[in-house]
Amino acid sequence: MYQLLNHQRKEKLRSPFWTKNILMNILLGFLGLYLIVTALVVSFMAAGFIREEFEGRDVIEVFTAFLFYFFIFDLGFRFLLQQLPTLSLQPYLTLPVTKSKLIHYPLLRSISSFFNILPVILVLPFFIMIVCANQTGLYSTIWIATVFSVIITNNFLNFILKKYFVKRPVLILAIFLVAGCLLYFDSIGNAPLSGYFAAAVNAIANLPFLFMIPLIIAALTYYFAYHLLRKNFYPEDSQTTRSRPESYSFLNKYGELGELIGIELKMILRNKRPMSVLIFSILFLAYGFILYDDPDNHFNLMLGGFIMTAAFAVNYGQFLFSWEGSYFDSFMVNRVSSFNYIKTKYILIAFSGFMTFVITLPYAFISYRIGFVNAAMLLFNIGISSVLLLLFSTRNSTSIVLEKSQFLNYQGTGAMQFLMIIPLLGIPLITYIVFLILGIQQYAVFALGAVGFAGIIFYRPLLQIVVNSFVKRKYVMSSNFRKK
Amino acid sequence: MIELNNLKKVYGTKTALSVGQIIIPERDFTGLVGNNGAGKTTMLSLILDLIRPHSGAVTSKGKIVPETDEWKNYTGSYLNEGFLIPFLTPFEFLAFIGSLHGKNSSDVKDFLNKNRDFYTENIDSSKYIRELSAGNKNKIGILAAMLPEPEILILDEPFSNLDPRSQSWLKMKLKSLHLEGVTILISSHDLKHVTEICTRIILLEEGIIIKDTKTSPDTLVELESYFSVQV
Repeated sequence: MYQLLNHQRKEKLRSPFWTKNILMNILLGFLGLYLIVTALVVSFMAAGFIREEFEGRDVIEVFTAFLFYFFIFDLGFRFLLQQLPTLSLQPYLTLPVTKSKLIHYPLLRSISSFFNILPVILVLPFFIMIVCANQTGLYSTIWIATVFSVIITNNFLNFILKKYFVKRPVLILAIFLVAGCLLYFDSIGNAPLSGYFAAAVNAIANLPFLFMIPLIIAALTYYFAYHLLRKNFYPEDSQTTRSRPESYSFLNKYGELGELIGIELKMILRNKRPMSVLIFSILFLAYGFILYDDPDNHFNLMLGGFIMTAAFAVNYGQFLFSWEGSYFDSFMVNRVSSFNYIKTKYILIAFSGFMTFVITLPYAFISYRIGFVNAAMLLFNIGISSVLLLLFSTRNSTSIVLEKSQFLNYQGTGAMQFLMIIPLLGIPLITYIVFLILGIQQYAVFALGAVGFAGIIFYRPLLQIVVNSFVKRKYVMSSNFRKK
Repeated sequence: MIELNNLKKVYGTKTALSVGQIIIPERDFTGLVGNNGAGKTTMLSLILDLIRPHSGAVTSKGKIVPETDEWKNYTGSYLNEGFLIPFLTPFEFLAFIGSLHGKNSSDVKDFLNKNRDFYTENIDSSKYIRELSAGNKNKIGILAAMLPEPEILILDEPFSNLDPRSQSWLKMKLKSLHLEGVTILISSHDLKHVTEICTRIILLEEGIIIKDTKTSPDTLVELESYFSVQV
């Protein structure tokens, strides 16, 4: 058992990721620290805040109701970020270690994950200061035990959801949507789920024998997670059987360009990491609900327009060639013209921008201006941003393993990714500032739209610049891709 | 047809390949032999413009390879897995390669039917290439190289991972392609195979050509004695 622990630790520590990517690690470290500090501050301040804002209501009850929201979001974040606790099992399968040990062990270990520590930090100060101070010992003990059971339930529930839904992206979107609606109805008071949750926790703490219920639920999630992992024990089990592969015959009539676009679409849809980029980009479009709070703010509108029409382009485009790292050579030795190869990616970026523009068009109900600003930003993104993305991508030559999940996967992420954002957001920003100084900031998006339109008209010479850079860089790119 | 002139490739301080001149005329069937690290793959990669030489140049039909894309029209090649697109099914991949050379999917089906004895798996299967065994990946790569009916065929270690039956099929196929007028360049560790089918053998050692001869009945014995070691 101890050796398994040791191997798992080594697997993490010796992963090339740590040594290669110091910048990323520092950033992650800061993120973790920031979250912990935030949780502590929230926990210490919670009681005072609740007394002020919810006068006359029981502090513990309100806090517990808030925890309900937290746990829902927590589950969402876990789903996106927390990895399944698997040791790479293959080398152990033939060794004299029992199967159940190989599964129980990593599963139990996952309890010490950061995702479980954070909620504990959020709850503990409040628990000590308020619950313990105002309630009986028994009530306090059961209260905290119930909350911990929910944390543990979330932990294992996430694994079950992950294992089950990872291959069904449409269902994931549906679940996010349903959860969003429930929270919305809860917040306007139509279905006070958080209230029920608080009442349930309170009831359990008052009648200790009810504590069996959350405990049993936690145990059940563990049991199901165990069985799911056990069922997927053999390496060959993780391969799924498919029905006949889909074909994009409508693309055939566009010749080489159509073929190349077909290949790229298949790459996105058949591989885990580009697929999760796609899902993430679509979820990101909901950011508009926050951003469009004040539809008279020109800057917010512009930023919103940029995000709504470039969400996928920026997320996907930062690895434009790296996605193809594992088969880049097949484009190098076959009859594919460099111009068409680059143009494929240009069309894909432009098309994705157009699609997200259409999807987010309903935001125009908030203010008709949003529609116009987004259209202008769409022109800018197609005409200018996409060319910049392409140009920067020729500088990025780390191959990407397509079959690994996206979240918290920084393979291929380097300084270039951060540099890329500077001109992409910088040009609109500087344009805005210049127009602001001139006092005509409402025309900034017009200018950007016009420049973008010009960029689209002159796409050929612009793409030729990219092609020239690509031809110069292709040896470095392909030799780096071969290194894996 | 293909000329290598003063070609040199250096990795760090190690010279991977350094050749004065090699001329591969039309209808030549050349086998490259040598130990690991002798420079075989480096040479093939230079011919295919996959890496940049430090000095010298490769020309194909008189044109310098990195300067045009014309050679891609008449050169079929398979060096390694990097030539395959992992998330396509074998048929999708072959159809894609075919489409780049103006072949539609029924042309590709005909081609596969003709070569049924080599790739015996179900070609319509929905398995992706990344799920195939090493041998089957190799077979798909070789078929993809042959599919466009190239004038020049370049294969790196084509016999590796192949079962005995496929090895002898490939030998027959290469021989008959050679008779049809295809210029072939392969590398191999299997001295028996290359001396049996190639008309010319180039022996590399640490990036330098040790031997460049027409195959004769004595070649196998000579090569075997060159590579023999005492244990």
